[in-house]
Amino acid sequence: MADDTKALAQGLKRRDPDLLDQLIEQYQYRLFRYLLYLTSSRERAEDFFQETWIRVLERGHQYDGKYKFEAWLFRIARNLVIDWQRQKKMQSLDALTDPEEGAPMEFAALNQPSPLNLVLTAEEKTGVHASLDRIPTAYREVLLLRFQEELGLEEIAGVLAAPLSTVKSRLYRGLEALRSAMQGGAA
Amino acid sequence: MNENLHARAEKLIAQERVEGISQAERDWLAGHLHECPACSQVAQQTNDALRTLRGLAIPLPRGLTARTQFRVQLRAQELREREPKRRLLWIMCVMSWGLGIATAPYVWRAFEWAGERIGLPRLVWEMGFGLWWTIPALIAGAVVLMENLRLAHENDLHE
Repeated sequence: MADDTKALAQGLKRRDPDLLDQLIEQYQYRLFRYLLYLTSSRERAEDFFQETWIRVLERGHQYDGKYKFEAWLFRIARNLVIDWQRQKKMQSLDALTDPEEGAPMEFAALNQPSPLNLVLTAEEKTGVHASLDRIPTAYREVLLLRFQEELGLEEIAGVLAAPLSTVKSRLYRGLEALRSAMQGGAA
Repeated sequence: MNENLHARAEKLIAQERVEGISQAERDWLAGHLHECPACSQVAQQTNDALRTLRGLAIPLPRGLTARTQFRVQLRAQELREREPKRRLLWIMCVMSWGLGIATAPYVWRAFEWAGERIGLPRLVWEMGFGLWWTIPALIAGAVVLMENLRLAHENDLHE
């Protein structure tokens, strides 16, 4: 595996177009799913999906092959989302303080359906899917990274840029929330 | 059964899935689950919940991968086209500094001669000589700075 990641790192450094095509194919589903968990919009997840790969191309030389590629990929995606959220917050504040902007901006995100809800069909919105929908994003993110992506705890800490203790506590709470939500959904 | 045992069992059920447990703890848990239907149900519910999470399918938007591959290839092409210009700039800088070092004594004498001929104070023509040295570095720095600003602007547009 170490040889694979080293070869991957060298390919990214060279900006090998075939390698990038292959990586996009290989990680398309996983990256999109992760972005959908983080954002509250399918369209936004699509935008971030494309931006993430542009970043991978531009900053491929920064990947040293010491960790799994997906951990690095998710970190890039996460940072893009965080930057966007910061900008959005700043714009919101501008709109609130600038009388030229008219009525203060509404915090639509609070009323928006969650990402899971957006992508599911009406039929799927009942039962277990609806249960998953009730779990806070921060928990759902670590649950996805641990149990769907099967990343190690340290790799998750790397993606989140958070201490290991934070990752563990979110995982324990997330697991509890998941179990409770499932019970609630099944009831 | 002691409440502490149930609490320990629940803790180990979660811990086993999050960070793993020792063989001794696994044996103890297996024994407890065998005897305790309530904790056994918790373990089963946890397994079911994780199975559901793992099996959750989210449809990928049609054409997203192809669109992304196209955009990435375009950007790669842009970057490749820019690469020779950047290399040329650095080559020119290196050549300029190399020539500067090689010709420094002659340029110094030329400045000295011109300064005396025009009647400039020594400090002025010495500063002129210093400027002669720093101009290539300043130009290269300005070009790199402008290039980085342009890149940052492009990134903002992408976002």
